[in-house]
Amino acid sequence: MSASMAAPGLLADRPANDILLDVRDLRTYFHVMDGTVRAVDGVSFSIRRGQTLGIVGESGCGKSVTALSIMRLLDIPPAEIASGEIIFEGRNLLKLSEDEMREVRGNDIAMIFQEPMTSLNPVFTIGDQIAEAVMLHQGLSRKEAWNKAIESLKAVGINNPERRVKQYPHEMSGGMRQRVMIAMALSCDPKLLIADEPTTALDVTIQAQILELIRMVQDETGAALMLITHDLGVVAETVHDIAVMYAGRIVEQGSVDEVLLSPKHPYTEGLIRSIPSRGMRGQRLNVIKGTVPNPFNMPEGCNFAPRCPYAFEPCWTLDPQIEEADPPDVACWLYTPAPGFLAPKRGAQRVAGELASGIRS
Amino acid sequence: MTPVQPGSEPDIVDLIRKEGAVDYEVGLESLNQWQLAWRRFRKHRLALVGLGILIFFIAVAIVGPVFMPFEFDVIPSPDKIVYQGRPPSLQHPFGETGGLQRDVLLLVINGARTSLFIGFSSMFIGVVVGTVVGSVAGYFGGLVDNVLMRIVDVMLSLPLLFVILVASRFFGNGNVVLIIIIFGLFSWMTISRLTRSLFLSIRELEFVQAARAVGLSDRRIIFRHILPNAMSPIIVSASLLIAANIIAEAFVSFLGFGVNPIYPTWGNILSNALTFIPLGNWWWPAFPGLAIIFTVLAVNFIGDGLRDALDPRSKE
Amino acid sequence: MSKYIIRRLIQAIPVLFGITIVVYAILLAAPGGPTARFANNPKFTEADREKFKKAWGLDQPIPVQYCRWMGICNPENEGLAVFIGSTGWPAFLPTSISGTTNGLLHGDLGVSIDTGEAVASRIARAALPTFILAGNALVIWILVALLIGVYAAIHRYSLFDQAATVFAYVGYAMPTFWLGIMLIFLFSGPGLNILPAGGMTETRLSPPFGSDTYWPYFAANPATAIVDIVKHLILPVFTLVVVNIAGDSRFIRSSMLEALGQDYVRTAKAKGLPVRVVIFKHALRNALLPVVTNIGLEIPFLFTGAIVTETIFSWPGIGRMTIEATRSFDYPTLMGLLLITSALVVLANLIADITYAIVDPRIKY
Repeated sequence: MSASMAAPGLLADRPANDILLDVRDLRTYFHVMDGTVRAVDGVSFSIRRGQTLGIVGESGCGKSVTALSIMRLLDIPPAEIASGEIIFEGRNLLKLSEDEMREVRGNDIAMIFQEPMTSLNPVFTIGDQIAEAVMLHQGLSRKEAWNKAIESLKAVGINNPERRVKQYPHEMSGGMRQRVMIAMALSCDPKLLIADEPTTALDVTIQAQILELIRMVQDETGAALMLITHDLGVVAETVHDIAVMYAGRIVEQGSVDEVLLSPKHPYTEGLIRSIPSRGMRGQRLNVIKGTVPNPFNMPEGCNFAPRCPYAFEPCWTLDPQIEEADPPDVACWLYTPAPGFLAPKRGAQRVAGELASGIRS
Repeated sequence: MTPVQPGSEPDIVDLIRKEGAVDYEVGLESLNQWQLAWRRFRKHRLALVGLGILIFFIAVAIVGPVFMPFEFDVIPSPDKIVYQGRPPSLQHPFGETGGLQRDVLLLVINGARTSLFIGFSSMFIGVVVGTVVGSVAGYFGGLVDNVLMRIVDVMLSLPLLFVILVASRFFGNGNVVLIIIIFGLFSWMTISRLTRSLFLSIRELEFVQAARAVGLSDRRIIFRHILPNAMSPIIVSASLLIAANIIAEAFVSFLGFGVNPIYPTWGNILSNALTFIPLGNWWWPAFPGLAIIFTVLAVNFIGDGLRDALDPRSKE
Repeated sequence: MSKYIIRRLIQAIPVLFGITIVVYAILLAAPGGPTARFANNPKFTEADREKFKKAWGLDQPIPVQYCRWMGICNPENEGLAVFIGSTGWPAFLPTSISGTTNGLLHGDLGVSIDTGEAVASRIARAALPTFILAGNALVIWILVALLIGVYAAIHRYSLFDQAATVFAYVGYAMPTFWLGIMLIFLFSGPGLNILPAGGMTETRLSPPFGSDTYWPYFAANPATAIVDIVKHLILPVFTLVVVNIAGDSRFIRSSMLEALGQDYVRTAKAKGLPVRVVIFKHALRNALLPVVTNIGLEIPFLFTGAIVTETIFSWPGIGRMTIEATRSFDYPTLMGLLLITSALVVLANLIADITYAIVDPRIKY
C-alpha cells in the first residue's frame, strides 16, 4: 500500500503496467451559441497506482473539465470529447458503453466535488445516499450497505456515525458534509479518487482538516489521488506530483519539489510569485498581468505570450507543446529551441527557491 | 511587474468586446440604460414578433374603425333571412354571425379597440396603485407597511375572478370606464408586493442613505432616487398584467357581466355564439378568440423580452 | 406541527372576516339589487317592492344587514334589543346560550333569494357535480403536466420540448371559454355530433343529477348512469386540463431543469447510479417540492375557475350557481359561496405549507 509513497516523480523506474490512468491528448470542446470553446485542448498525463497528482491552474483553465471528462459526466452536447484516449486499467473509458461506464463511476473512480453544501441531495438522509452506491456496486443488502455507510462515516472521523447516518445534509456543517462526501467516495474502495477543489468552499481551519483527512485516507486505502486546485499551498501539502494547466493545456509537470522550487514555465513562476508570504510583508503582491485569454479567440502562438514577461519572437507565432520538450516537463520556447529560432533567450537558471520556500513554511 | 508586451492590450480589449461586457464599459458614454435594454430586447426574436403583432393590433384598433365604420345602433338589414349566419367569404372574410348577422371582421376590429383599451388602462391603474402602495409600505415600513400589507393579504385571499365578476355585475353596468376601474383596483396587489420588496432592498443602499443625509424630502427620495432603480421588474410585471386583464375582461364580458354589447369587445362578441352551436357557426367564436390568443401571446413574448432586457439577472 | 396549524387557522379568521366585510360592502353598495328581477313585471307595484325588501331585510342599513348575516343582530328585535338573542344573552354567543339560530356565527348561511332554499344545502347539492368535474380534471391534468414537464426537461430542446413550449404558450394565452365553445362546435356541432354539448346527464334517459329520482335510477342501472356522466365529462374535463397543463407543465419543466442542474445530481451520476435513478429519485424528488405547493394553491381556483367551464357546458355545479346568483343579485348565496371559496383558499394555503414541510426535510415548523 504505502509502496506508492516510495519514489514519486520517477516515471522511468516504474513498470508500465503500474499505470492506473493514462490520459492521452484529451480534447474537450464546448459548442455554445457564440462558437466553440476548447476547454481542454490536448492534455496528456498519467497516474500510477497509489500516486498523488495535483492539477493546478486558474479558474477556467480546464482542470475541472479534465476531471469531468475522465468521469464522462459532461453533458453531450454542448460538450464534446473531440479526441483523445482515457485509458483506465487498460480500458479506454471513452469507448465504454454508458452502462459499463456506470460500473466505473463511484466504484473504480470516485469524485469529491467543490461544493459540499450543494453536492448532497437535501431530501435524502446521509446514510441513504452513501448506501445506495454501495448497494449498487457491491451488491450488498440494504442493511449491510447501511452498516458500511456507518463504517465509512467512522473512517472519515465523524463522531456518533449511527446517529449521523440518519440525518439530512442540512443538519450538518460544510466541513462535516465534505467529510460525508469523502466517506461516500471511499465507500466502494475506489482505485482512483478525484478531488475537485475539495477545500475551496470551506473555512480555512476546516480546509487543513479536510486535506489531512484526504491524505490520510489516500494513504490508508492506497487509492491514487488526483487533486484539482488553484491553491499551490494545498498542492504542496498534499501531493507528490504536479501538473500546471493554462488555457486548456498542461504547461509544466513534474514532482512538487521540482516544480515549486525551480519553476520553469513563466506562468508557474507567476503563480508562485503571487502567493503572499511573510517575507514579503509591506511589499506589493505580485500578480500575473492580464487575464486568461478569450476562449473564443485564443492568441496565435503561445497562449500565455500576451501575459508573459519573457515572451520573445517565437512565442507570438509558434505554439509550444509539452510533448516536444526533452524531458517533457515544460511547454515553453525558453527551454525548447523553437524551430527556426535561436536558442532560448533565458535558460532554467532562474532561481525561484526562495519564492517556493514561502509556500512550504 | 514587467514591461508591457506589445499586443497584449488589444487582446484584452478584444476579449472584453467579445464577451459582451463592453456594453457596460464602452457604452457608458454613448448609450443610456434604456438604449442598452433595447439592444438586448432586439436580440429576443420572439419578443420582436410579439411587438410587431401588438403594434399591428393597436394600429387596427385605432385606424380600423375609421376605414370600416360600424354602426352599432343600426341593426343591419339582412338581404335575405340567413338566421344561421354565413361562413367566411370574399366579402366577409371572417363570416357573418347568426341572429343579427353582423360581420365578424368588423366586430373583431372594433373589439380590438375596447379590449386593448381596457387591457392597457386597467394595467395602468393597477401599476400606479400598486407602485404607490408598495413604495409607501417599503419606504416607510413599520405600522404603515403592516397595515398596507395586511390589506394586500386580504385582497389576495379573495377568489379574485369571482369578486371581479361580482363587482363588474353589480357596479360595472356595462360601462367601459367602470369596468376598467374595477379591473385596475383588483390587479395592483402583486405589483405592490414586488415594489415593496424592491424598496426594502434599495432603501438600504448607499446612495439612498446619502440622499437622506443631504436632507432630501421623502417624496423626492422615493420618486427620484429609489423608484427609477426599481422600475425594471415593475415594467416586466406590468406587461404581463395587460395579458391577464385582457383575458379576464373577455371572461367577464363573455358571461354578460362586462362591457355593454353595443361596444363590442373580444369577450362579449362571443356571448351569443353558444346558442348558435347547433347551427355550426364556428367562425363566430373562432376569430375573436384567435385575436385574444394572438394578443396575449404577443404581450407574453414582449414580457419575456423585457425580462431579458431589463432584468438580465433573473432567469426563467 | 399541530401548534403551527392551530396558529395558522386562528390567523386565518381575521382574514376571512375582512373578506366578508369587503364583499358585503361591494354587494350591497351596488345599485339595483334583487328587486331588479321584477323590473319587467308590470303587476309588481312599488308596495310589493317594499314588501319584498322588508321580507328579505333589504330595507335595513348595510351594517345592520351585515350584522344580521353574521348573526350579531337578531332580526326579530327592534332598537338596541337587536343585539339580544331569544334567551336574553347577546345574540353573537353560541346558539345554546343565546338561542339565536340565524347568521354565520350560528352556522347558518341564510336563505337563497332565488330559490328560498337554505344556502348551505344549495351549495352542498352543487358541490358534488363540481367535485366530480374538478377532481377528474385535477388528477388528469397533474399527471399529464408531470409527464410533459419531466419529459421535456430530460429532453431539453428536443422536438417534443419545443412542441410542449409552443403548446404551453398557446394554452396559456387561450381563454377557457373560447376553448370550450370551439370544442362544442367541433364535437357537438352539426358536423361531428358525437359528444353531448352540455349538462351532466342525458335528459331523455335519466332524471337530472342530484334530484330525488336520480339516485334510485342510478342504483337501478349504475353502468348506464356512469357511462352517461363520463360522456358528459369528456369535453369539460378536456377544457380544464388543456388550459391548466399549459402553465403547470412549464412550471414542472423549469423546476425539473433546475433540479437536474444541481450539484447533487452530478454527485449521484458520479456514484454510478443508473440514469433512471438519477432522474426519478434524485432530481424528481427535489423538483416536486415547489410543484406540490403550486398545485395546492391551484385547487381552490379550480373551484372558482370552473365557473366558465361549468357555464359553457351547463354543468350543474358551484360555478354555474355562482353565475346564476350573480345575475339575480342573490346576496345570501353569493356570500355563502364567497365565504366557502375564501376558506378553501386559506385552507389550501395551509395544506400546501404542511405538505411542503412533510416532503422537504429542511422545513420545520
